[in-house]
Amino acid sequence: MFEIDYGENGEVRCIGRLDAAQSAKAEAFLGRLDASHTLDFERLEYISSAGLAILLKTQKRLSGSGAAIKIVNVNKHIYDIFRYSGFSAIFEIEPL
Amino acid sequence: MSGQPFKRSIDAVTDIYRFSEDVMAAADIDGSVRFPVHLAMEELFVNLVNYNPGARRDILIDVQVANGGVIVTITDHDAAEFDVTRERKVDTGTSLRERKPGGLGLHLVQHMVDTLEYDYRDGRSKIRFSKEPETRDV
Repeated sequence: MFEIDYGENGEVRCIGRLDAAQSAKAEAFLGRLDASHTLDFERLEYISSAGLAILLKTQKRLSGSGAAIKIVNVNKHIYDIFRYSGFSAIFEIEPL
Repeated sequence: MSGQPFKRSIDAVTDIYRFSEDVMAAADIDGSVRFPVHLAMEELFVNLVNYNPGARRDILIDVQVANGGVIVTITDHDAAEFDVTRERKVDTGTSLRERKPGGLGLHLVQHMVDTLEYDYRDGRSKIRFSKEPETRDV
């Protein structure tokens, strides 16, 4: 199960498991962003390389217009994934 | 050959998650083991599916638990040789502009499991990996 939607303050909430079977849903949503946004991962349990690819693709596209995504409330396991992937230098990330 | 069969489809990763989560939950396996096991299973399975598009036979996955750790064996009887233990060059230090999406899967697997073995013979790929619980300093 994976859900992605806007929260009350305009943040993008990601919930559940962002795996290869769910990455199309994330790509469809994030592909529509055209300005800087905060992604709230408080309820995101899991992410694989398929999800990482979508995040990177989105960040690269937004950077062309000077925008960026920031990722907050990242659990320890996902934070480790970001660290091994070198994402700490590409995204502003705040752990839980 | 032992193991649960899974269709060669990306959608099967959801079934693989449920299968392995049931086994690990029943054995009360710690989250520090479960997360990397799920990740490694998905990455290795997706790799077999994506790089053998002409293959038809199901992929077998066996999950064994012992002493708080997990050993997973993935067997593909319809595979081209692809050594998942070989070091992959992924430059995780490049700038956003130079960075290309993709290629991280095996890099993550190699970092997150404790052992990773690959055996190929007569068209059969067998991948085995293990993950032990994290030890905590006291």
